[in-house]
Amino acid sequence: MDIFKDKLKTVTYKQLLFYLIVVLCCAGSIIFVHNNHSYYDRPIAQVIESELIDRTEFQDSMNNEDNLFTQHIKAEIKNGYEKGKIVELHNEFSLSKAYDFEFTVGDEVFINLEDNPKETDNLTGTIADVKRDKYLIVVAWVFIFTLLIVGRKQGLFSILSLAINAMLISYALDIYLAHSHISLLLICGIAAILFTVLSLLLVNGLNEKTYAAIISTLLGTFLSLLITYLVLLLTSERGLRFEELQFITRPYQMVFLAGLFLGSLGAVMDVAITMSSSIFGLYEENKRISIKDLWKSGMEVGKDIMGTMTNILLFAYVSGSIPVLILYFKNQYPLGLTLSLNLSLEIARALAGGIGIVLTIPIGVYITIFFVTKKRAKI
Amino acid sequence: MNVLVVLAAILFLLMTLIGGNKGIRSFIALFFNFGVIIITTLFMTVPGLNPIILTLIACVIISCINLFFINKINIKTKTAFISSIISTSLLLLFIFFITDHAKIQGFGEEEIDELSMFSLYIGVDFIKLAASVIVMSTIGAITDAAISISSPMREIHYHNPDISRKNLYQAGMKIGRDILGTSTNTLFFAFFGGYLALLIWFKDLSYSMGEVVNSKIFSAEMITILCAGIGLTIVIPITSWITAVFLVKKR
Repeated sequence: MDIFKDKLKTVTYKQLLFYLIVVLCCAGSIIFVHNNHSYYDRPIAQVIESELIDRTEFQDSMNNEDNLFTQHIKAEIKNGYEKGKIVELHNEFSLSKAYDFEFTVGDEVFINLEDNPKETDNLTGTIADVKRDKYLIVVAWVFIFTLLIVGRKQGLFSILSLAINAMLISYALDIYLAHSHISLLLICGIAAILFTVLSLLLVNGLNEKTYAAIISTLLGTFLSLLITYLVLLLTSERGLRFEELQFITRPYQMVFLAGLFLGSLGAVMDVAITMSSSIFGLYEENKRISIKDLWKSGMEVGKDIMGTMTNILLFAYVSGSIPVLILYFKNQYPLGLTLSLNLSLEIARALAGGIGIVLTIPIGVYITIFFVTKKRAKI
Repeated sequence: MNVLVVLAAILFLLMTLIGGNKGIRSFIALFFNFGVIIITTLFMTVPGLNPIILTLIACVIISCINLFFINKINIKTKTAFISSIISTSLLLLFIFFITDHAKIQGFGEEEIDELSMFSLYIGVDFIKLAASVIVMSTIGAITDAAISISSPMREIHYHNPDISRKNLYQAGMKIGRDILGTSTNTLFFAFFGGYLALLIWFKDLSYSMGEVVNSKIFSAEMITILCAGIGLTIVIPITSWITAVFLVKKR
């Protein structure tokens, strides 16, 4: 209890005000997403009664066993002309729920109302989708509070950096879509420079460490993109299955390369800042340390982080494909074909990102030592 | 020549040149980890096996590879290992709760056309699978954060053997906060890069704000990013505390 009191004493009014505002925003936004039905054009209904009316065992042509259920749902319409009326819905779902849902009382869904000739009968309709905004906002607030409580100021900066970067990406894409003759890669290149400068300044402040990290990040990512581009050119893209690239409305090579470029940027920034902080740290501890020692220690740090950093990208890229892999396996596709059909682009991204990470280690050491020498010359 | 083979060869060359023996070990670890992902996926297709339990087992093996194989078995990697497993389990519980409610499992309506020739009734619980996917995407970053905190804590304890448990814990928290920004950035950009095509798609088909936010694919990806951030953050106090307890008790 005493510790808690001590902590309270150290909290300034400014901080108190800040937390108050955050809590108010949180409460406000959660109340809003629970009551925003009238802002949607599509009819929304909340399940008030659900009854399982049928269950059949099902075996598909590949001998996969599943169960199919039929649900009869009564739901209250929350918006539009029919607000407050009861609608009867019919829902089918499976045990797997790969493309269907089981609804329970309280769930909110978007529905399509069916024309009903007889005025007296209950309304009927079909379920179109789930209203997910209220869960999204809960996760967002858990994220914000976890980062603020654990990370304090740095946590706040991480949240800001995520928000700013997300807006920048969205804005960059708007520019691209409005002016399709400008290459997506060029736009992403300019955006990448902005991302790097902004994120590293936010994370690390205005100082030589940050400048060194910014330059090494940019050199590292551009060099790895160049290598990847040359490899694609020389091998004429053999082994890449662009048809697995989903959601394609634009030239796919460009979208792939731009995604690869952005994807490795964060990891390369991480490596660059680690290299520059550790080398500057060594220099601060012992101002007369020799260039040779700095180089050696810097490379040691690089060796330590190389393995885990490349693995971060591998997991972030490949894991997303697990559901589709399972679908292929269960539909009796052979292992090799499934992997090459679904993972070639993810693995290419992870490998190219890995090349960026590893290249940034010597680049980071070199650039940071350059800044250290400059600083030393000034004294 | 195959693109993947050439890229892998370049990566291997660079890792060997720059990282020496440790670089070679890191490269082999990439292959092991990839193997673990594929084998876990194969096990998930077996009816009756719980994907969540399989994911936990996979995370234990992956943490072993990332911590004990790339580095060596010592007090730093041991505490990082325990912290990674605890953080992953906590994260998994939270994510399962969310995926169960937000119904983000499986495939979105945007994807379903391409999958029309597949049978979707395959007897695998896609809700649990969705939770597994998010945790698996984050496990690499979690082990990285854990070792980045426990390793300098060990150095601090080595140089100041008389440090109290509380002070050591606070030193760990400080280190954690310093790496928080960059490690969350690493994951954010990795995911942004992967979702670039999706973002262009939403913009090209001029989805309204409400449609984007409530669509299965977008909310699934936002929840992945946010949960990854949460996982990376909770690993900081957990690792600091466990490392402090282990190091100061040992004296």
